[in-house]
Amino acid sequence: MANYLDGKVAIVTGAGRGIGAGVAKALASEGAKVMVCDIGATLDGEGKSSSPADQVVDEIKSSGGEASPNFTDISTMEGGESLVQTTLDTYGKLDIVVTVAGILRDRMIFNMTEQEWDDVIKVHLKGTFAVCKYASILYRQQRSGRIITFASESGLIGNTGQANYAAAKSGIAGFTKVAAKDLGRYGVTANVICPRANTRMTQSVPDTSRQLRENRPQDREAVPIDTETHADDIGPFVAYLATDQASFINGQTFLVYGGTITKLSLPRRTRTIFKQGRWSLDELRDLAPRHLTQNLINPSPPPTDPQ
Amino acid sequence: MGDLLKDKVAIVTGSGRGIGRGIALLLAREGAKVVVNDLGGSVDGTGDSAAPADLVVSEIKEAGGAAIANYNSVASMEGGEGIVQMALDNFGKLDIVVCVAGILRDRMLFNMTEDEWDSVIAVHLKGTFSVTKPASILFRQQKSGRIIAFSSGSGLFGNSGQANYGAAKDGIAGYIRAIARDLGKYGVTANAISPGADSRMTQTVPQSARDIRSASGITSAGGGQPTPLELNRDPEDVAPMVGWLVSDEAKDVNGHVFHCQGGQISLVNNPEEDRTLRKSSRWTVEELDAMFPGTLGVDMVNPAPPQEVKK
Repeated sequence: MANYLDGKVAIVTGAGRGIGAGVAKALASEGAKVMVCDIGATLDGEGKSSSPADQVVDEIKSSGGEASPNFTDISTMEGGESLVQTTLDTYGKLDIVVTVAGILRDRMIFNMTEQEWDDVIKVHLKGTFAVCKYASILYRQQRSGRIITFASESGLIGNTGQANYAAAKSGIAGFTKVAAKDLGRYGVTANVICPRANTRMTQSVPDTSRQLRENRPQDREAVPIDTETHADDIGPFVAYLATDQASFINGQTFLVYGGTITKLSLPRRTRTIFKQGRWSLDELRDLAPRHLTQNLINPSPPPTDPQ
Repeated sequence: MGDLLKDKVAIVTGSGRGIGRGIALLLAREGAKVVVNDLGGSVDGTGDSAAPADLVVSEIKEAGGAAIANYNSVASMEGGEGIVQMALDNFGKLDIVVCVAGILRDRMLFNMTEDEWDSVIAVHLKGTFSVTKPASILFRQQKSGRIIAFSSGSGLFGNSGQANYGAAKDGIAGYIRAIARDLGKYGVTANAISPGADSRMTQTVPQSARDIRSASGITSAGGGQPTPLELNRDPEDVAPMVGWLVSDEAKDVNGHVFHCQGGQISLVNNPEEDRTLRKSSRWTVEELDAMFPGTLGVDMVNPAPPQEVKK
């Protein structure tokens, strides 16, 4: 128990289990009062239960921390607004928002239903906007605040069977880069975490699809699911980003797992062809394969021998 | 007229104007039969008109090409499925889908309304899914197909005032990376373009907004003084790279993002590992406070540094 976040008030969504629970406990152990928000649904977004949030709150309180359970569905604007309002009513202010809430509905693109698409986009992407938007109104007025969102290597690098999840997670990364620029001048920071951890969510990926992914050509797309990485390993770095000391860290993306913290770059233009004026198609047919796309790896090549 | 895309059938969404129009014209010039989809709305997505798509179709036909107009909104599954069905009904097959349709509703995050968020996500992100999903069913069966979606520097790098657009555009890049992996083994490719072009859409960003971003030190994907390269960027400049990517010749290019602006075409990589801080057990906040600033935190640039309160 330390005191880096003494006097701070935090919201953590999806805090009933896994990474979110670890973040809530880490913030509380540094002295923050934490609104532990979790609707208590199953992994695919069905059902509700108050017990996951209640349990985390009990754990925080038994370690001498301060926390309240909250069961709001954050995937609507009303939900996001009410979560922020309840936090103000309970603790009088808001300094830190961490959006971890998410669901999975994996399916190959050609079989993915509208419902599977909509549900995942709604919880991750709209859920992040819904909470951060209302927090940002306060943050701008008080000229301080922290936003920490959760993306995924599935979105930033790519993963098969997760078109909805990848779109949502990459979307969150894009959202956060903009939020950092909209809010930085008010002394607010917004950063993104790409976590790797062994949680309920990663356990739902069947072994066969893991093997399929592992047998792919090497293009650093494989997302290793390391059994030694614990969900609670993510919390301390999130807590650090939430401190006043981390005020200089804004608009960044970090890969975090176990004892490893990696700063990820923004996308870079790695190869360029240039001419004055417009390329002709014939010029590109000649030059693109020899320079722009030479030796690029197809992450999922067709079988070389169709028989 | 070339024949690189002879006998191919293509859908280009948002092809009534700007970048989409340039692509539809080029694909048709290379022999593809094109479904020219455009709702004909204003930049903010309101209103509709058949005129933009009709004009492009007549332009293609006058040049001896084949095209048909479609006015569906891509923001619903029915809209997307209807466009794919129209390609099948009129041209008998589908080989190429290019998703350019998009709208802008810029607003600072703290003022952005639910409608501004929802409408931008619906047209860009769901509008890319709604057309490519039904197309992917066909592509998988026929073991061939090309998908091109449109991302943006606003999503890849972040641009102030565009939380909705940035989320949608980076979301599209993530979507393409995923479906490239779902479909590659069936001989299909999916790639994304991040365009830089002076179109009706970029003209809605006022110069005053660009100046404010620049003056307050906010690094911007499209702000400040335009560079010499940016001064030369016709929307039609984006088309040749798209034309090559959808051809049979580009069959091995899958899952990538290309930035196209004027005569400049770049391969954009995925985020890469810059620097790593590692310890064999879980960190504490105190340790991170001691270690981070001198390691990962060195030379860290705040893209929008705090400003003094104006008196």
